Amino acid sequence: MTGRHSLELALPGASIGAVAGAMAGGLTLLAGQSAGMAGLAALALATPLALFGGLYGMLLGHGVFRPGTFGPIGLYWMAAFPVSRLAQEILVPTGGLAEGAGPFLAYQAMISLGFAIGFLWMHERIMPQWLVRRAGDNPLAGELLQKYLRFARIVRARKSARKGGR
Amino acid sequence: MDTSNTPPATATPPVEDQRVWKAGRLEPMPIRKLPDAPPSVHILGPTVFLVALGVGMGESYMWPRLVLLFGPEIRWLFLIGVTLQAVVMLEMARYAMATGESIFSGAARVFKPLMWFFFIVAIAVYIWPGHLSAGAAAFEEITGIPWVVTAIAGLILVGVVFTLAKVIYNLLENVLSLLIGALVLGTAVVAAMVGSWGDVVTTISGMFSFGYLPPEAMSAAWFPVIVGACAFAGPSGMQQMWYTLHLRDSGAGMGVHQPKIRGLRHAGEEEERPNRGFMFDTEDPAEMAKWKGWRRWVTFDALLLFWGITMLVTISFTVIAQAAVRIDPAVRTAIQGDDREVALTAMSNAVSSAGSSVLGVVFLGFIALIGLNATLGLFDSFSRGQADMTYNFIPGAKKLGMSKLYAVFLWGVIIFGILILLFGPADGPSGILDTLAFLSTFAMGAYCVTLLLVNNRMLPKPIRPRWWSNLIIGFGAVFYLGMLFYSLFAYGVVVG
Repeated sequence: MTGRHSLELALPGASIGAVAGAMAGGLTLLAGQSAGMAGLAALALATPLALFGGLYGMLLGHGVFRPGTFGPIGLYWMAAFPVSRLAQEILVPTGGLAEGAGPFLAYQAMISLGFAIGFLWMHERIMPQWLVRRAGDNPLAGELLQKYLRFARIVRARKSARKGGR
Repeated sequence: MDTSNTPPATATPPVEDQRVWKAGRLEPMPIRKLPDAPPSVHILGPTVFLVALGVGMGESYMWPRLVLLFGPEIRWLFLIGVTLQAVVMLEMARYAMATGESIFSGAARVFKPLMWFFFIVAIAVYIWPGHLSAGAAAFEEITGIPWVVTAIAGLILVGVVFTLAKVIYNLLENVLSLLIGALVLGTAVVAAMVGSWGDVVTTISGMFSFGYLPPEAMSAAWFPVIVGACAFAGPSGMQQMWYTLHLRDSGAGMGVHQPKIRGLRHAGEEEERPNRGFMFDTEDPAEMAKWKGWRRWVTFDALLLFWGITMLVTISFTVIAQAAVRIDPAVRTAIQGDDREVALTAMSNAVSSAGSSVLGVVFLGFIALIGLNATLGLFDSFSRGQADMTYNFIPGAKKLGMSKLYAVFLWGVIIFGILILLFGPADGPSGILDTLAFLSTFAMGAYCVTLLLVNNRMLPKPIRPRWWSNLIIGFGAVFYLGMLFYSLFAYGVVVG
C-alpha cells in the first residue's frame, strides 16, 4: 500500500518529465529518420525523464527534498538530466556524442540547470492541486499537503493583513 | 528627507498608528507593520512578469544575430546589460517593498513632472502594436493564418480575459507561470538536442571578452543596432518600472496594505484604495530583520529566476542560431539583413532541414509563445501603470476607481492597436519596433536617474541602497544614455 501511495506522489513529476521528453523526442529526428525512429527517440528520452521526475515526487513525499527549494533539485537534475540524455543517445544515436562523452555530459549538465528551473516551476504549480485530490486516501499525500498548507497559511496571513482584504 | 517619526511617549500600541514618514511633498506615509517575508525561498514570485516581459526579441533574435555577425565575443555587452538589469530590479523592489507604492509614485514624490514624463513616454512607446508582430508572424509560418488576423484576435482575447478576471493578478500569474514553465523546459530541451559543448564554450567565453568591439561594429550601420540590443538585454523600456506595480499588487513587503486591481466585471467589489503607501519602523530591529528577509527573497528572484532564465534562453537561442548557420551557411546572409521575420524563418528552415519539420515548427512555436507572453504582460502592465498614475495624480479620477481606469487604458490601447494594424503605417511591423527603441532606451537611462533620486531621498537612511549599488545604477544611466547619444552624435542615427 505504501508503495502505491508513493507512486501516486510520483505522478505530477513523471508527467512533466514525460511531456518534456516527448517534446524533445520529436526533435531528435536528425537526417530524416522514419516516424518509427522518431517515436523511439521520444520514448528514449521521455522514459528516463519521467522516471527521474517521478522519483523526485516520491523523495519529496518522504522528506528528502523540501517543497520549492531550488538548490537540491538543481543538483538532482544536474545528475539526472545528462544521464537521461546519455541513455537516449545510446538507444537512438543522434550524433550528440561526436565530441566525446565528456564534453557531451558537461554540456548536458549545464543545460540541466535550466531544465531544473522549468521542472520545479511546473511541479510547484501542479503538485499542490494533485495533493488536494489525493490527500483523503493517501496519508503520504496528506502529510505533504500539510507542508504546502503551512506555507500557504503564512502567505495568507500576510495577505489577510491587507486593508479590506478578503 | 526629514522624518516626523516622533517616538511614542509611552509604549502603548495605538500611538504607533499616528507616526508617519514624510517623503517629498506628497502625503506622508503612515507607519505600519512589515509582514513576514515568505518562510522559505520559494520559486514563484512576481518576477514571473519580469521574465515574461523580458525574455523577448533581445534574447531570441537580436543577440543571436549579433553573435553570428561579430562573433561570440560581442556577448560581453549582453552580460553587462543583463547584470545591470538584475541590479535595477533589486533597486526597484527596494522602493516598492518598503512603501507599497509604485516607482511612479516615488518619482512624483521627488518631482511631479518626472512622473508625467514617464506617463507620456509610456503612451508614446507602448500603444504601437509592434511587439505583437514577431509572435504573430511566427504563428503565420506554422498555420498559414495571416499575421494581422492573429494579432487582432490576440488583442481582443487579451481584452476580454482581463475584463472578466475577478482578480487580475492571480489569473495573470497562473497563465504566465504555465507559459514560462513550458518555455523554459522546452528551450532547455531544444538546446540539449541541437547544441554542443563547443557552441556553449564559445558563447560563454565570449561573455568575458570585455571591451571587444570589431571595427565594423563601430559604424553607422551597426553601432545603433548594438545600442538597441543592449537596451533589449533583459527587460527593456519601462518594464522594470511596471515590475514595482506587480510587487505591490502581489502583496510583497508593504504592498500587503494595498488592495488588488480587479477586472471590469468585478470593479464594483473593489476595496477602497489609499492614495499613498506606507512605511515600516526602520528603527525597530525586529522590523529590520523582516526587511532583510524580504531582501533575501527578492535577491533570490533576481539572481536565479531573472538572471538565470534570461541567460539560459539567450544562450540556448544563440546555440540554436550557431547550429542553424552550420547547417545552412545561407542563414548568415538572411540574418545580416534587416528583416527579422526573414531571419527567423531562415533559422527555422535551417533547423528543419537538418532535423525534421517538427524542429522548425517548435522553434517558431517558441517565438509565438514569447510573443504571446510579451503581449499579455505588456498590455496588463501598461494599463496598470497608466491607471496608477491617473488614479493618484489626476483630480477627479478617483471617482472612477482603479479597476475602471485600468479597463479604460486596456481597451484604449487595444482599439488603437487594432486600428493601427488595419490602417496604420505601411512600412511593416519591424519599422514600428525600431522607432520604439529610441524612446525605450532613453526611458531606461531616465529611470536609472529616477531610481537614484527616489531610493536615496525618499527612503529612511537604514534602508537606503549601499554605495556600490548606487554606483552600478549610476553606471546604468551613463551606459544607456551615453550609448544612445554617442550613436546620435557620432553616426546621426538613433537606435537600430
